[in-house]
Amino acid sequence: MTDAYLGIDIGSISTKGVVVDADRTIVARSYLWTEGNPADAARRVVADLASQIDRDVVRVRAVGTTGSARRLVGAMLGAAVVKNEITAHAVGTTYLHPDVRTILEIGGQDSKIICVEGGIAVDYAMNTLCAAGTGAFLSSQAHRLGVEVEEFGPIALTSKRPANIAARCTVFAESDLVHKIQVGYAREDIIAGLCRAVASNYLNNVGKGKKITAPVVFQGGVSKNVGVVRAFEDMLGMDVLVDPDGHLMGAFGVALLAAEASAGAGRGTAPAGDGDGGEGDGEPFRDGAFDFDAVGDFAFKTREIECSKCANHCEIICVYRDDALIDSWGNRCDQGAVKAGL
Amino acid sequence: MTDTDDTASERGGSASTGRSRACDGATTSAEGESGIGADVENLLGHADGSDDTLRARIALQMERKRPPRLVLPRPRPKRDRHARTRVAFLRYSYYDIVFKFFVEHVLDADYLPLPEPTKRTVELGSRNSSDSVCAPFKHILGDYLEALELGADVLVQFAGPCRLGYYGELQESILRDMGYEFEMLNFATVTGKPLTEYIEVCKKKVNPNLSVPHGVRGMLIAFQMIEYLDEAQDFYLAHAGFEAERGSFDRALAAYHADMRTVVNEYDLMDAHKRGMAALRALEVRVPVRPLRVGVVGEYFTAADPRSNLGLERKLLDMGVEVHRMLNMTNRNLRYHEKNLRAGISDYVRYDMGPTSSMTIAATLKYAQEGFDGVVHLKSSGCTPEVDCIPVLQQVSHDTGMPILYLSYDSQTSDTGLDTRLEAFYDMLAMKKERTAS
Repeated sequence: MTDAYLGIDIGSISTKGVVVDADRTIVARSYLWTEGNPADAARRVVADLASQIDRDVVRVRAVGTTGSARRLVGAMLGAAVVKNEITAHAVGTTYLHPDVRTILEIGGQDSKIICVEGGIAVDYAMNTLCAAGTGAFLSSQAHRLGVEVEEFGPIALTSKRPANIAARCTVFAESDLVHKIQVGYAREDIIAGLCRAVASNYLNNVGKGKKITAPVVFQGGVSKNVGVVRAFEDMLGMDVLVDPDGHLMGAFGVALLAAEASAGAGRGTAPAGDGDGGEGDGEPFRDGAFDFDAVGDFAFKTREIECSKCANHCEIICVYRDDALIDSWGNRCDQGAVKAGL
Repeated sequence: MTDTDDTASERGGSASTGRSRACDGATTSAEGESGIGADVENLLGHADGSDDTLRARIALQMERKRPPRLVLPRPRPKRDRHARTRVAFLRYSYYDIVFKFFVEHVLDADYLPLPEPTKRTVELGSRNSSDSVCAPFKHILGDYLEALELGADVLVQFAGPCRLGYYGELQESILRDMGYEFEMLNFATVTGKPLTEYIEVCKKKVNPNLSVPHGVRGMLIAFQMIEYLDEAQDFYLAHAGFEAERGSFDRALAAYHADMRTVVNEYDLMDAHKRGMAALRALEVRVPVRPLRVGVVGEYFTAADPRSNLGLERKLLDMGVEVHRMLNMTNRNLRYHEKNLRAGISDYVRYDMGPTSSMTIAATLKYAQEGFDGVVHLKSSGCTPEVDCIPVLQQVSHDTGMPILYLSYDSQTSDTGLDTRLEAFYDMLAMKKERTAS
């Protein structure tokens, strides 16, 4: 019997999950597309992880969720920790790379930079009003060029003269790109130009005013693109480290936080004598261990209701498991609080 | 008289009335009666095109279009035909309490209270504003539209040293184009002018019977009220994060505000303030040994107005943080001394950069020197003066090692995105503090 912790990072584009054992080593990893259905993606990730571990030996004691669907999936899985992705990434990366000074992260729709000193985050920035130069942009341009986005990196590396593509705004970058295609630029030059555009856009927006000190770790889905990695190295004039598990770092970080919470007096730590499984408790836990099969058995539904208690008409999001309300949020005041059992 | 009019030549009768009108309507009918013959003689006798002749001819033509008035206009002073006006302000944090007092006791008019702002307010405002204008403009326009729907006669707009100074004019023009009828008391039109001009414009737009001595007394109370309200808010921000009973500070502050709304003179004001502060101080708090301290700085509206920043202060307090904010009406309007403030930040700034820039930078530096854990900088998207502050703040952050979170708001900003960033900022500060403690 060994204790383990499950971390899931449900992003806009992809859903990541890891299981770490008591030594904080990753024993199972999963990476799938969210496909606009975070609940189902989480279920698939859980099933995928379950198939990779010996469930008679490994007992998952606590669950952590992060990413933009953290709250929904957190409610589904009875998570002990529901944490924002910035903290999760910082915790995960500083654990694996204690000497890291700067973390660059580009995901599907967001990008962030975290400055680290002595193993703790001291400053961060995240894109605010605009998602220019994130993974979603690269995906849509790959589609336009008829190339798989996974092939972008190797193709970019073959370019000798990257095209200069205006990167400030996704729409203008696209116009520029179309223009360059139409005048006959080589495909690899355009792709290399796009990779450079992503890197320079990142440094000019999110990275603006932040001191980028080596060692630099680059992660998030876009870090799998060697063309962007090369562009960062050229622009920063320093090595950029990409961890093979870099895309899982959010899930890893939140698994670590779940382990920490569980070591404290947190939830999920073996509710004594609860032989009936977690149903009474409203959580998919059995005998104090996460029940991988239970997740598939429940039907999760999300409904949005418009509160009419005052003129603000808050949109309240209610999550139901088998028609029983398990969580709700979105209300601005207590009048709109929707509680289980009402 | 009717006889004369009938018997005299039609032209003559008309000419006399016509002329009397030309002479400011001061001529009585008796005068007209006696002078008719001579007048007609004079006017029509010499068809030489002299001024009098010309005027008479014009008068005659006018008469045909518009018959003479039976009752001549009688001058009546404006104060006798003045109806009380309903005055509405824009919404700005808890200062509606002061606005109400100002309207009732300085302008001596009726105050139109606005209900809590809702999503509809900003939707209304955004729909009728240019998309690229800053969020405060949209919020304020929404306020005005709601005020007009509720029957406001006069809308009040502040003066401002940034684009805000032009907003009143622009908003007035938008509202008039939409077909609304109202008066606009726009203080930007008298900025920098002597007090008499302020009084004049208030008399003209709101209340011609305005009493200056009464108004001055009211104004002094209003100023004191601002200072008291800000004092209570400062206390609330510093302590509510550690309240033993959830919601106790919110309730006490709301009761205090309700109390302040009933104030009519300086004695009430002092009593209400004392009662309110005593109630706030009596609340139980559980302050940790080393609490996280966060300063809030930034642009006038977004930093201080909860609906403009999606209740940022409450969110910070809910995380158990001690919050400080230098920017309020007391510090920015009543006790503001640009040059002295700038002298304190002379390492970073030489010139006045905009309406709240010096205060943003001075406050940030002060918080850094006092060992705060972090600062949150708030601005509406596209607020140029505050955008200019950011490089300076980055330098301060770099020099002092205090992290700063930069947030930009527009009317579309989502609560979820804000929560994620604030939560991450809190985690970062908390982990840093924990690490440095051990």
